[in-house]
Parts: sequence; structure tokens; C-alpha cells
Amino acid sequence: MKPVLTVIKRNFASNLIALVITILVVLLSTTSSDSSISISRGNYTYLYMLMIPFFIVYVNFNKLIHLNATKKDYFWGSILTYIIAAASTSMVNTFIHLIIDPMNQTQIVINLLELCGWSENGVFVAFFQQFAFLLMLAVFLHVLLSMQSYWYGWLTDAVLVAIICVFVPIQPLRQILVGFFKLIMFNGNALLHISVCLSISMVLVLVGKAVLKRRSI
Amino acid sequence: MIELNQVSKKYQSATVLKNFTLTIEDDGIYCLLGRNGAGKTTLLKSIAGYQNISSGTIRVNGHSISTATMDTGVSHIENFAKHFNLPVKKLIRVAGDLNPRFDYEFAMEMMERFELDAGKKFNRLSLGMKTMVSTIICLASNKSVVLLDEPVLGFDAIMRTEFYDLLVESYSRNPRIIIVSTHIVDEIAKVMQKLIIIDKGTLRFYDTLQEIETKAYSVSGLKQEVEKATKDLHTFGEIQAGGLLTRFIFDLPISQRDHLEIEKLSLQDFFIRMVEKKGGNLS
Repeated sequence: MKPVLTVIKRNFASNLIALVITILVVLLSTTSSDSSISISRGNYTYLYMLMIPFFIVYVNFNKLIHLNATKKDYFWGSILTYIIAAASTSMVNTFIHLIIDPMNQTQIVINLLELCGWSENGVFVAFFQQFAFLLMLAVFLHVLLSMQSYWYGWLTDAVLVAIICVFVPIQPLRQILVGFFKLIMFNGNALLHISVCLSISMVLVLVGKAVLKRRSI
Repeated sequence: MIELNQVSKKYQSATVLKNFTLTIEDDGIYCLLGRNGAGKTTLLKSIAGYQNISSGTIRVNGHSISTATMDTGVSHIENFAKHFNLPVKKLIRVAGDLNPRFDYEFAMEMMERFELDAGKKFNRLSLGMKTMVSTIICLASNKSVVLLDEPVLGFDAIMRTEFYDLLVESYSRNPRIIIVSTHIVDEIAKVMQKLIIIDKGTLRFYDTLQEIETKAYSVSGLKQEVEKATKDLHTFGEIQAGGLLTRFIFDLPISQRDHLEIEKLSLQDFFIRMVEKKGGNLS
């Protein structure tokens, strides 16, 4: 267990710059006071989840292997890093939504917890819905970035771009795309939402393991 | 135990390893020699499971090795390996935390012996010191197979001597298979048990130093006389100048004869003759 914990520790240490950037963006973000709507600072905490896979995949992997970490320890250490990071980010945004956002009495503050319909299910469930979504997002990015040195990574990029380009302009296909995002993001049905996000995360973890097994050093 | 069976590795049109077959059974310090581009790094990376081979099989202690092997039991360090920019002592501690078999005591001893500044961050070390840190981490890993790719690159003569001491001390403490790839032939000869010569992706030689000392020699003299004396011997190279001929032999020694000059080959000469254009194959 110690090697896995060390991988987690190194992952968070290397992600310090991502944390600093996120904190700065959260603290310095502003919305025009003339507007009736304000974007919650908490939404910017998602930046952290978008940045950490870059450090884990591109910086830490080779360095950990050079210190004699096994691929197995790197794999489980990275998954646990995303779980901890997703839980922490979700907790911070939930706190901002509950404590900071209500301080703004003059504007309507929009937080993704409300926008996605998660807050309808109470704070505790909303926290888990957000956690499941963030975990899925980070694992998806991790897998996508891990594939970039290989032909199948480029193929995946091309397929994703093609899906967006083809599905957006064509009405029936657009409905499918909208339906998909309603399922994974804008979903008030907590049980369905958490199940879908965790199921996709699990599939992505398996894909990630297969990609790692092909990854050269 | 390392078993390589008909291993080939292709990079697009270039074949770097060609049907490479080798079995290393016993613990020991093995020296991997080869010219630049001979396939040394590719071979070591393949054994470590850092990259896949195009065909053939690699097994370490009975386990098949490829990039899919999640725990290879092999420690490999390449020159210019990048590490976390941490103070040396902390870096070694992290390496110890990542590997339950890590010999932390040995690593600390070596760090002090080689006067590595424990508080200095890795990126601020000289090239030689960086390599020394990587080598200590690799040797202290206590894995059953240790692969060191060009570890003396960037070392001055004193550091190289220290490195060979480190190698012997590490091996005495924990006997295992250690393969060192290098260009500096004669220095490693003092510590190695067996020599592996690779050339153009194929195995040219795999035997002990004693075999070279006994069987490798050159015969020089008039062409006809040299040809006559070495007719039934295994020749792996020759140089002709006018009517004079020098043949390089790997075979049982012949007795001293009139008009013929018979000289033992140094390891360096043996290696050079083996991998030069007209070199022979003794594997």
C-alpha cells in the first residue's frame, strides 16, 4: 500500500501549480456588477480537475517509473488521486455554493450545482453527483492524454471532433448529443446520474488500464 | 534468469534487433558492448518492458516481459533519466517508499561515500552527479535484474573508478543479474563476469573474459605462412598489407612458429575486430 500512497503524494505535490492557478482564478474572478447574473467562483474549482491529468500523465509517469515504481502502483495511485481530488473539489464548490454564494444579495449567482439540477436533491446528494461527474471528467482526460502518443489516440481525437461536427448541425443527431449531456451532466435524477457517471468512469478506468499496458517508456 | 528467444525489434523500416537469442542464467555482472546504434539501448529497454518487441519472446525469472507487464521485477536506468526536482536525500526516500525491497541503508551509505550533497536539488547537480544518483537508486532497488545503460557517461576517471567499486559492493551485498552497457571496455573488464557483444542488432559474442584471454589472438607474417598456420582455425577478421597478413583468431592457441608473430588480443582490440565491418560471428 505504501508505494500507492507515495504515488498519490507525488501526484499531489506535482499538481501544486494546478492548485495555485485554480485558487488564483477562484479568488480573482469577477463578474460585472451591472449584470443581474453572477457566475459563482465555485465553478472555477473545476479547473483543478481539468489540469491535474496533464501533470500525472505527462510529468509524473516517467519519473515514477525511473524511481522503480511499477505500472500497477502508478495506475492505482492515479485513480485514487482522482477520487481524492474529485471529492475535495466537490466539497469546496459545495461549500462555496452554501456559504459564499448567498453573501451576494444583489445578483443571481449561478453555480453548476444548481444549473445541472443537482442541488434539487439536497446538499449531500448534490456533493456525490458532482463528485461522480468530476471523477468521470478527470479519468476521461487521463485516458485521452495517455493515448496521445499512439495512433489510436489521434483516432479518438478525430472521432470526438467528428462527433461534435456532425452531431451539432443535424437536428436528430443533436438531440442525441443533448440527451447524452443531459444524462451525464444536467441530470436531476441523482441515482441515474451517479450510476451513469460511475459506470462510465469504470469503463474508462478499464480502457485506461489497457492503454497503460501498451504505453512505452 | 533472462531468456531472449528470437527477439526482433523494428522501427518502421529499420530493424534494430535481429533474431536475438540469449540466456543469462547465473547471477553476475555482465558487460554489454556494442558500437553506437548497435541496439544496446533497445535491447535493455525491451528486457525492462519499457517497449514492445516486434517478434520473439523475453522472459525474466519465467515471466513474460512486455509493456503489458505491470510489475517486471527489473530495474532499468537510462542515461539522462529525468527525476523529480527534489533534494537528493528526499528523492532517495521517495524511491524507497515506492519500492518495498529498496535498500535504503545502502543508498544512504553510497550517497555519503560519493559526497553527494543530500540537500541539493536534482536539477542543480552536475551531469555526473545526476547519473550517480540514478545509478544508486537503480542498484539499491534490489530487483532481481538491474540494467544500467551507459552509466559512466559524464563521469571523470575518478568517478568511473568509484562507480566500479559501487557496482562490486552492490553485487557482493546482493548477488543478482546486473547488465552494464558501456563503451569503455578495459575498465569494466576488472569487475565483469561475462561479456555480451552486440553488433547491428545481432549477438556476436557471449562468454567469459577468461575465454577471450585464452582464445583471442592475432597471427601476423607472410601471407602464405599465416594462411597455412590458421587454415583450420576460427578467424574473425584480417588485415592485409602487401604480402603481409594479420589474422584475428578465436580458437585454441597455436604454438610459436618461426616467421610468425602471435600476440594475445586485448579486450579493446578483440571488441574492435569483432564489430568492425569484416568482423566475424562467434555466437
